[in-house]
Amino acid sequence: MTRIVMLYCAFAACVVVLLSGAVVVRRLVDGRRHRRDALLSRQYLHIVILSLMSETDTVPHFPRLESAGARMVLAETLARLVSSTYGLDLGPLRRIFRDAGLQPFLLRCARRTRGCRRARYLSLLSRLPADAAVAAAVERYGSDRHRAVRFYALMVRLAADPSMALQLIGAYPDPLSAFELSEIVSMLRRGVLPVAYEPLIESPNRNLRSLGIAIVRQFGIEEAEENLLRIASEDTTGELGREALYALCALRRPMARREVVRRMGLMSRAERRALLRCMALEGYSETAFGSPVGDEETPYFESFVLSYKRCLVC
Amino acid sequence: MHRILIVSDDPFLRDMVRFALGGLDAEVRSVSEACEIRRVSRSVLFDVVIVLTVSPFACCDCFDRRRNGLRRPVVYVVAWQHSEQTVLSLLENGADQYMTFPVNLQRLRGKVADELNRLVP
Repeated sequence: MTRIVMLYCAFAACVVVLLSGAVVVRRLVDGRRHRRDALLSRQYLHIVILSLMSETDTVPHFPRLESAGARMVLAETLARLVSSTYGLDLGPLRRIFRDAGLQPFLLRCARRTRGCRRARYLSLLSRLPADAAVAAAVERYGSDRHRAVRFYALMVRLAADPSMALQLIGAYPDPLSAFELSEIVSMLRRGVLPVAYEPLIESPNRNLRSLGIAIVRQFGIEEAEENLLRIASEDTTGELGREALYALCALRRPMARREVVRRMGLMSRAERRALLRCMALEGYSETAFGSPVGDEETPYFESFVLSYKRCLVC
Repeated sequence: MHRILIVSDDPFLRDMVRFALGGLDAEVRSVSEACEIRRVSRSVLFDVVIVLTVSPFACCDCFDRRRNGLRRPVVYVVAWQHSEQTVLSLLENGADQYMTFPVNLQRLRGKVADELNRLVP
């Protein structure tokens, strides 16, 4: 019996040692790979920026591009550069994208994976200079089961053909979430999509209207106040009315308006308090409403406006 | 030779701006934290400081006082915040120029080059 126990203990100890060794090796390999990727990314960024700043048409050479993971590092570097800047010369970027074989690489990766990983590859594709062939290749992901995949397929198609933005967003089947709207607006800030809020905010389509409100809020378009008030009074139960109130609040327009007070009266208590917190953060005074907004909410709002917690509430 | 300091907690953005400023007649240094600014600027007088960070207020605080009558560097802040209040507060706190991300690298380079040319005695 003792021998069996000893053998069992020895076996368990061996397994623990082996597993610990495997974890250590894995961490070392990951650390080395991470350092190599950071170094490569820096090198590639330097090459890309030199290529963008120079006037020549030559395609730069990227060292070790054929090594494992290097093409992904280049794709991520380019995507990060494109999302942090605007006005880059698309000619050299297209040449790099084509000659480094990033387009087939990312499409292949998207085809072989699913779910979040596929969405990530499509997200990278949407930041790189895509053409009609890429848009056609990702069209089938528009009906994917995963919502993020469907959305980034839309983003790739928007990047490939900005002139079709209204049709593509209008035909998108899901209501756009706040995150998805911010992704589209950040694309718009990079100058990829045209900025015209009026056709969007007047549109009967929910997604286009929502995008119009997001643009008004993001760019501080005060001329859109009447449109926002109309949306707040028309959309009495849905999200659009609520978004319109938040946009008015971000524009710091007077909130003691009949449409605003009526819409707030239709909100749930939690929604009303969330809006009041946002108003306190934006710097509205405790007399922002001509009439009290509710027996409970008025002291709640006043307490935030008058307290030091104002900068912490949202 | 002119001296430029880049402050950013994001190595990618730091390198991006550093490479974009390559070729200018200036020595470019970079630090990752606001607290390092004081240490670096004790020994070197910078002409332009470019702050690319999530919390630019911490950096502006380092340049609010003139040191022994020396010239104060021109402070550029490039950040993601674009609300009017933030921009005005930054300008009041010592930033000379404010640009939002996404930023145009050619424009930033041009502005910095103009600033350096203006500093030539």
